[in-house]
Amino acid sequence: MKVKYIINGKEEEYEIHPGEVLLDVLRRNGHSEIKGNCYLGTCGACTVLIDGEPHTSCTILAAKVNGKHITTIKGIGDLNNPHPLQKAFVDVGAVQCGFCTPGTILSAYALLKKNPNPTDEDIKKALDGNLCRCTGYVQQVEAVKFAVKLLKEGKDE
Amino acid sequence: MLKLKGIEEVYYPQTIKETVDILRSHGDLAEVVGGGLDISVFPNPRIKFLIFLDNLNLSYVKDSSEGIKIGAMTTITNLIESDLIKDYMGGCVHSVLPEIATELLRNQITVGGSLGKREPYSDIVTLLYGLNGKIVLSDGEWDEIVSINDFYKENFKRLLKERIIKEVILEKYPKDYFFSMKRYVRNATDIALFNMATLLKTEGKMITSARVAAGSRPKPAYLMQGAGEFLKGRELSEDLAEEFGKFVEEHIEVGTDTRTTEEYRKNLSHIYAKRILLEALEAAK
Repeated sequence: MKVKYIINGKEEEYEIHPGEVLLDVLRRNGHSEIKGNCYLGTCGACTVLIDGEPHTSCTILAAKVNGKHITTIKGIGDLNNPHPLQKAFVDVGAVQCGFCTPGTILSAYALLKKNPNPTDEDIKKALDGNLCRCTGYVQQVEAVKFAVKLLKEGKDE
Repeated sequence: MLKLKGIEEVYYPQTIKETVDILRSHGDLAEVVGGGLDISVFPNPRIKFLIFLDNLNLSYVKDSSEGIKIGAMTTITNLIESDLIKDYMGGCVHSVLPEIATELLRNQITVGGSLGKREPYSDIVTLLYGLNGKIVLSDGEWDEIVSINDFYKENFKRLLKERIIKEVILEKYPKDYFFSMKRYVRNATDIALFNMATLLKTEGKMITSARVAAGSRPKPAYLMQGAGEFLKGRELSEDLAEEFGKFVEEHIEVGTDTRTTEEYRKNLSHIYAKRILLEALEAAK
């Protein structure tokens, strides 16, 4: 079957198997910025935003979200023009092996859209589904707080 | 990793009637998909047809004369963000919800999906058992309201081949009701090793009715009939809390699985039963 998505603002059409999960469809079609790992929804490495809400793409059936807006880490900023969250994660040292980073930043991005002034608890709760094998959680929380500061200083997206 | 190899076709019905017509035409080979978490994690190789409910406008929390109506496609996140749920039962229900699963999964888990699957570890089923939720089943032509007890007494999976869960209705209990839910996890994002929800009606310190539900036993959630009888007509006190803890530990039906033992679950049930009554005692003061 064919599905259409708006991925990072660009309409894309793919041929999929109706039983496939979104993670596999996106990676097969070049979106290797989305990481895959557990296929159970427990690690969060595969996080994407679907209509602005973070989801584990390994548990989302690709056919179910036909027509939706999907945002990957590349959709919020790039090397030349990083989002304050991306900059903050680098500056604070919240990136170690980097495997969880795209998903973690997208969860943080969704949080800041809803709540621009999160408490530490809000941040921890929002990132609770993104596991970091390097256990860099303290730096991640600090990075999100630093990004809030950057955003307030006007270095907005 | 293609987990659902057998899927031949998916449907996006616009109405409940259309959904049920598709469901009936494919029988056991079709499955209605709420959030889709369960089927993607535990794929059923027999299923060939998936029916997505996303176009049915079943994501809502609204007030009505019958109670608070929660659409089947409402996610845990939707519940958390609902002002009605924030205020419901003094915030006791709202405080439990952010502890369930993770933010990412709370965005996917639906109320209807949780009820329709009745997975053993579901906190939502225990919560709704405790609150005596009413389930609205619909075939698109007429709706039937059944209590959660009756729903699970029947062969509910068979019922759901002819109808779908449209919504859940939560009674708006007056202030003389007390509700509490407890769940034990090894870490913040773990599924519960045991959970318990209790609804008490009190007159002062006197308990006039009680519902005690338990889940993650590891069997699915159930209503502990004897516990309600035990509490009815008793006066809240620290002694009763301890007595109730012992009673629950002795009578609760729990077992052993790979995650923990029957003995451990019994110990947890004692502690939670006692804590819930102590909280109710505090609230009664």
